[in-house]
Amino acid sequence: MDLGSGPNLMAACYAAGALSSLLAWWSGRLALVVAHLGALAGAMAGLGVSLGVLLGPPGRTLIQPLPALFPFARLSLSVDGLSAYFLLVISLLAVAAAIYGPAYLRAHSPASGPARQAAQGFALNVFLGCMALVCCAGDALTFLLTWEGMTLASYVLVVSEDRDGENARAGLLYMVMAHGGTAMLIVAFLALTERAGAFDFAALRAAAGGLDPAMRTTLFFLALGGFATKAGVVPLHVWLPRAHPAAPSHVSALMSGVMLKVAIYGILRFAFDLLAPVAAPLPPSWGWTVLLLGTTSAVLGVLYALQQHDLKRLLAFHSVENIGIILIGVGLAMILWRRDGAGGALATVALTAALLHTVNHAAFKGLLFLGAGSVLCRTHVRNIEELGGLARRMPWTAGLFLLGAVAISALPPLNGFVSEWLTFQALLGGASRFPGPAGLVIVLAAGMLALTGGLAAACFAKAFGVTFLGRPRTPHAEHATEAPRPMIAGMVWLAALCVVLGVAPGYAMRLLDAPTAGLLHGPGASAVVTARGPLVLSTAPTLSGTDATAISMTMMAALLLGLAAMAWGLRRGLGHTAPRTAPTWTCGMSPTPRFDYTATAFAKPLRLVFEALYHPRREVTRETAGTPYILRRVHYAGEVVDLAETQIYHRVERDISALSQAIRARSTGRIYGYIGFVLGTLFVALLLIGLRYG
Amino acid sequence: MTGNWPLELVLAEMTVLVLLGPLVTGAIQQMKARLQCRQGAGVFQPYRDLVKLFRKGTVQADTASGLFRVVPVFVLAATVAAGALVPVVRVGPAAFPLGDAVMLLGLLALARFLTAIGALDAGGAFGGMGASREMTVAPLVEPVLMMVVFSTAIAAGTTELGALAAHRGSSWMLAWGAPDFLGFAAMLVLLPAETGRIPVDNPDTHLELTMLHEGMLLEHSGPGLGCMLLASHTRQIVTLGLVAALFFPVAPPYGGAAGLLVAAAAFAAKILALAIYLALVESSYAKLRLFRVPQYLGVGFVCALMALALRIL
Repeated sequence: MDLGSGPNLMAACYAAGALSSLLAWWSGRLALVVAHLGALAGAMAGLGVSLGVLLGPPGRTLIQPLPALFPFARLSLSVDGLSAYFLLVISLLAVAAAIYGPAYLRAHSPASGPARQAAQGFALNVFLGCMALVCCAGDALTFLLTWEGMTLASYVLVVSEDRDGENARAGLLYMVMAHGGTAMLIVAFLALTERAGAFDFAALRAAAGGLDPAMRTTLFFLALGGFATKAGVVPLHVWLPRAHPAAPSHVSALMSGVMLKVAIYGILRFAFDLLAPVAAPLPPSWGWTVLLLGTTSAVLGVLYALQQHDLKRLLAFHSVENIGIILIGVGLAMILWRRDGAGGALATVALTAALLHTVNHAAFKGLLFLGAGSVLCRTHVRNIEELGGLARRMPWTAGLFLLGAVAISALPPLNGFVSEWLTFQALLGGASRFPGPAGLVIVLAAGMLALTGGLAAACFAKAFGVTFLGRPRTPHAEHATEAPRPMIAGMVWLAALCVVLGVAPGYAMRLLDAPTAGLLHGPGASAVVTARGPLVLSTAPTLSGTDATAISMTMMAALLLGLAAMAWGLRRGLGHTAPRTAPTWTCGMSPTPRFDYTATAFAKPLRLVFEALYHPRREVTRETAGTPYILRRVHYAGEVVDLAETQIYHRVERDISALSQAIRARSTGRIYGYIGFVLGTLFVALLLIGLRYG
Repeated sequence: MTGNWPLELVLAEMTVLVLLGPLVTGAIQQMKARLQCRQGAGVFQPYRDLVKLFRKGTVQADTASGLFRVVPVFVLAATVAAGALVPVVRVGPAAFPLGDAVMLLGLLALARFLTAIGALDAGGAFGGMGASREMTVAPLVEPVLMMVVFSTAIAAGTTELGALAAHRGSSWMLAWGAPDFLGFAAMLVLLPAETGRIPVDNPDTHLELTMLHEGMLLEHSGPGLGCMLLASHTRQIVTLGLVAALFFPVAPPYGGAAGLLVAAAAFAAKILALAIYLALVESSYAKLRLFRVPQYLGVGFVCALMALALRIL
């Protein structure tokens, strides 16, 4: 079959999944199965299309016209290298979600009615289809329509689990913030379409060529604001840690793993393609802003994640962190593009790091959310303080979660390390290109990235250790059993991705050629990063001509395995005594679950070290039996506030309510008064227009 | 003596590091004993301890999962693999690149992460306490170490340790500028933290609430404990080797066996000097309260930051 009709086939699969799920409203089980089969077929079609474009001849773009829904615009799909790459990321995770989903929804909420399950299946397919189509959109209208569809479908999924207070509030906040972002995008797009007189990207690109610098920058920051809201960049992240955990776990995985990436796609599309000046570097303010936002998001995201004890919320905060790491690479690429010597190789390294971290984050964050979902569906508890000891009860889930934890903490030999290593190298190269304060800022970003990695390791030692190790602290954890096989299969697929991308990243570089070469009009990723063959990753040579740094993940993994085999020999010991078991040493008392270190206690030293950023609140009430020396019970409550929330959002909220109070005082309730306001506004508007064009 | 070094030599260097690791610990212990007017057990005591542990049987906590048994294996493997990245006699990149300083710190972080996981597995309060404290100090140490590495790497344009050493050449003594002094000062502050010694951690205590690393080893026994101890000896010599490679590379002016011998002797001298420094610090300072450690590390951070700033500006 012709590759050109691939995007349509993919959309048709998702649409079929959505519709058949609705048609099967009388049987929840059937609805879930057909919906996820549709999603799986769509994901496979998406994989086919994206691989076809990425591995095909360089510079290939699939363009597929869509039915003319509107008389004023030609709609089309256009899949170039960048689109295909993001489509690949979406499809890879969608495969896992489609395998995992039905079993999860059945195991997690067996009592939910068939209508709800049909709606979930419908929304899942619409969500996936819209995400895929946003990346394939060839014109502004298709982009905005599918973008809105993505938001609405994910909203339905967020509030689908239960509609009680917490979830409904999370959904509302999500809706408000997402639409604020969309509004900015609409303005940015309309400003371009008005100049171009058409909606397709080619026309917009041509129209953007004639923009004056101030307008160009304004439009970029509008678009950046819109996309940053969706991506959950600090300080626009407050909806994310609430909305993502509320959705079913495989949808959380999709929201964190790929929906945020669609926003990254938008930033890249605007910065390097639609708004990029012809043959000139991007304005410096763009790249530095993105770099700064990325660094802030990375550090604050992981710091707040450390103090979360809700497993899914913790993971959601880590998405803020990882989006920050991706944006560090994107920002650096913007700064360096057409500015560094050496044939633009360093900008390619930076963009490669960002794009590679995009797929890596999708793989390990997807894996971790699915693992959290397995825990959730077997224990129905999200607070890790109430878990513990699950490694003995759910060995597969525990092992796969541990793998994801090692990957996300950027530890070798898994994939998180590879993209962070590339980011480090790009930052170092960038710093030596910019002597002076600019270079120092870039190097400090590298220091912050190192801090982020260390804190992520601490956070996942806590999350994994408290959830899966030690003794079960509640009956929920005590009676947990292993998750159903399809769920394990979904996780294994993502774990395999983490391992392959970590151990043999050189082979994946080929897939990054089309997006990097297409965006930067320079050398492709594999020409720079795998210049010494697929087994070795190396960076661009420096200006002074010294050797580039090179590492070999494959060789290192082989060395680690060999050494582990030798260490295993040592571990078995020279003597021949059979191992025996004994209770854990607890100073002579009989061990109980209360001896286990809790998550609150584990994170306490870091809470004190970073007190300035947390403003921790702590309440201890003691009940005594008459004398202060005999305690009946101690009640402890602790909380960490999100600085962005208290310092920005609460203030804005207060101001808005003060303003509305003031307006209410003016409103008299008489219709003539309101007509007067309307006429006054009209008069002022006409006056302004008259002054402008008069 | 720069050039491409075959993989066999790199692996041989790694083996030498692993074999010499316990000797460094023994030397430090012996020096401490002498400084405290004790006789000491001799420099070979860590080897005797290791042999004893590998001969013993294992007692495992009944609450621990299967993970507990493999943790020592991977901790040892990751630490030893980090040893392959430290140049002992070589100056210049290896023919087949294995990894760089970032990879080295990553592997050490992997070992630390797994150690903390193992400590939480047994479900005792001591393990959790040690893990929590270790994972508090580590994120504060790692970025500063990385910044020290960057402060030299920016001048050299590479983070590969052998190539870094080659970049400094043989005239490093004359070429040392302010950034090098500051970076080395930062390293001296960080060394006790990274090797788990006073004033950050105390390697000699087992049942005090002051310990970090030892608390995490409490539930390991027999060969498993042996692996963990060998890993911590290796970690120490790897860290010392990292300092030596960053700041005092020795490239003998002639090749061949004589050159190798000179380089090996120079390496031994450098490690010995740093070991004496560690022994002196351990004997003359008290352990800091845990919440004073960030301030102590802050000194290192400021030094590293100044080193970076001076290098770039």
